[in-house]
Amino acid sequence: MKEMLVGDGSKAGSSGSSGLSPAAPTDNGEAARRRKRLVNLTRPWVLLAPSLIVLAGLLLWPLIQVGKLSLQDYKVKFGGGEATFTGFDHYKDLLKSDLLWKTVLPNTVFFAIACVGLTVALGTAVALLLNRLGPTWKLICSVSILAAWAMPAVTGTYVWIWLFSPEDGMVSQMADSMGLIDAETTNWFTERLPFYGIATLNVVHHGFPFVAITVLAGLLTIPKELYEAGELDGANAWQRFWKITVPTIKPVFLVVTILSTIWDFKVFTQVFLMPGGSGSNPDVYNLGVYSYIEAFAKNDYGAGAAAAVLLTLLLLVITIVYIRTLFRQGEEDL
Amino acid sequence: MKRRVIAAGCIALTLTLTATACGDDGDGGSGDKADGKGKTLTVWIMEGTNPDPRPFFKEVGAAFEKKTGAKIKVEYQQWATAQKKFTTAIEGGEDQVPDVAEVGTTWVPQFAETGALVDVTDDVKKSGLTNDLVEGLKDAGTLDGKQYGMPWYAGVRSIVYRKDIFEKHKLKAPTNWKELQETAKTLKEKEPGLVPFPVAGGAEMFATAFVWGAGGELATKQGDVWKSEINSPKSIEGLEYYTGLATKDKVSPAKVNTWTEKEVGDAWNKGEIAMSVSGNWTPKAIVEANPKLKGKLAAIPIPGQTGGMSKSFLGGSYLSAFNTDKKDLAWELVKLMTTGEFAAKWAKQTNYFPGQNSELKKIEDQKDPLVEPFAKQMIEAGATVPKTKAYGEIQGSQVIPGMVQSILTGKSSVKEAADKAAKDMDEMFAKDK
Repeated sequence: MKEMLVGDGSKAGSSGSSGLSPAAPTDNGEAARRRKRLVNLTRPWVLLAPSLIVLAGLLLWPLIQVGKLSLQDYKVKFGGGEATFTGFDHYKDLLKSDLLWKTVLPNTVFFAIACVGLTVALGTAVALLLNRLGPTWKLICSVSILAAWAMPAVTGTYVWIWLFSPEDGMVSQMADSMGLIDAETTNWFTERLPFYGIATLNVVHHGFPFVAITVLAGLLTIPKELYEAGELDGANAWQRFWKITVPTIKPVFLVVTILSTIWDFKVFTQVFLMPGGSGSNPDVYNLGVYSYIEAFAKNDYGAGAAAAVLLTLLLLVITIVYIRTLFRQGEEDL
Repeated sequence: MKRRVIAAGCIALTLTLTATACGDDGDGGSGDKADGKGKTLTVWIMEGTNPDPRPFFKEVGAAFEKKTGAKIKVEYQQWATAQKKFTTAIEGGEDQVPDVAEVGTTWVPQFAETGALVDVTDDVKKSGLTNDLVEGLKDAGTLDGKQYGMPWYAGVRSIVYRKDIFEKHKLKAPTNWKELQETAKTLKEKEPGLVPFPVAGGAEMFATAFVWGAGGELATKQGDVWKSEINSPKSIEGLEYYTGLATKDKVSPAKVNTWTEKEVGDAWNKGEIAMSVSGNWTPKAIVEANPKLKGKLAAIPIPGQTGGMSKSFLGGSYLSAFNTDKKDLAWELVKLMTTGEFAAKWAKQTNYFPGQNSELKKIEDQKDPLVEPFAKQMIEAGATVPKTKAYGEIQGSQVIPGMVQSILTGKSSVKEAADKAAKDMDEMFAKDK
């Protein structure tokens, strides 16, 4: 992306400069041209500098610090802590631990996959619905979707906890009255699967509005003629969706999928606040909670940082894969 | 700005003088008449102990200003986040820590180890308070013979039950574990709408009472090293009894498996509990939230395995001075708040117990049936958790609740769960050595 911008800029610039000095290719003109080229080369960076500096200060610096911390044993002391360099010990411990491979990573990965899949599917379905509604219903539906989006994660989580609260929650009582469970002996929160089922509902409910709104924006850009042509050729709704809608707005899907993936991999609040999620039930640790408990409950800042770095690397790999796909897609379109 | 200049001054002072010289005589031998004109002490107090602490601190502030000329500035902190806030402030040093703060007893080892807290052993001795402090509480904040603050207030858990329901079914308050079990089973049969005796998986201090009650320990210090005892035969016996109430006798339904003390309290407020382990501060709060229960609650100490009492966690707060340039003034404030009139007033307003035997005796003598059993438990059967920074980490990572929950959900046997908890605890003890 950067290269493209810079490349475009210099191309436009050079054509401009040649237009400015059509005749007189003197030494003077040569120097001016060189200066122009230099300006063209540096200008984008100068313009980008303020935001790059802010990003470096807010993101890069903490990232370096976490990386540094993950190689140390850190002890809090009055007026400034003591750090002992330990090399890659924390990573070794982390990668050797059964908990990581059997619990933490599977929880994180499968939970993220389920959440992303469901969020994108539900979001798209809602976008398609919104696209077909009349103005009044569209407004009503949009407002209620936005309400779900605007709900803070903490509030939303408590609502879901209440709904599923064992024995007394609405869902528990309904399931009991339908004879699906025995409310007195069922606690959804103690087993891994129902626990993450509830967390998935919560995250999907909180995440689908963004997808719906973004996909809706994409849908509005698709020319109506394409659908008319498709209909004339006898394509049914299902075929029109897969053959027209999806290919046309594929980049939109890629973007919402990338963003959802990043968000769903690093879910913390929604898990931490659930009963047992804050550490008393190791079966439901995900990477975020694990890192938090290592760092702030066990005061093992180095181990916590190592887990955080691992999460970052994981996200980085996923993002790189996605961005490559996105650009390959872009090139095909051109 | 001014603070920083003063702070810099004190650092310079500490560098030139030796540490001991800075402590007592360094500030001009002020003794008990520290001159604090124009100075302000920052005080961190936990929110929620006293329903409305503002009038109390207005009075304290006025009395303190009259005595020393200095003002106090109270900043209220949340229990849930305070430990992290303290840690951050300690890391920041003298500029960021408060001058005086309420510090939970289990935090004292961690904070003291960083060098942030002032050792007040000599001041306590000089003020003639040493022998009046409740032993278990004094001990909780004393490490290697150094006392890091004054016990301010304390609480203990005993058993609270519904008097009306017990009378209705002609039940007597249990006096040993067998009776407790039988009573709970009868309650389950006769009062199906109520939780007979919650075995709350998230409530660490419910479980520990039964570990101690069976003669077990969480951990013991052998020489310099702490060693977990949670999987000793006695501890396991206690855990087996406690969790068996839920898994075998079914007097605690599955929903309670993930409850913490907060949820138990909520259920009391809704009138859903017949009998439970409960803190001395709870009966009044329950009646306030649910006036229908007025006069229907009663309390007894947690029965011992075969009679007597099971020990129960003696928790509370210290008022500690931090290593700032206002140490002498800070001690004056600590003394003012933790002794005499203000200590008694605070205890009364919060439904907790004061940290001095003399004040505690006065409360016991009032013979309030909802207070006396707790006072008895506190004086005769209080226990503390291992005094080491590592135990704070063990609590933070919820080793005991995790163990209890895995037993309650049937994921592991009592022995397996206790062995795993012991292993986790030993790892943390070893790491902090």
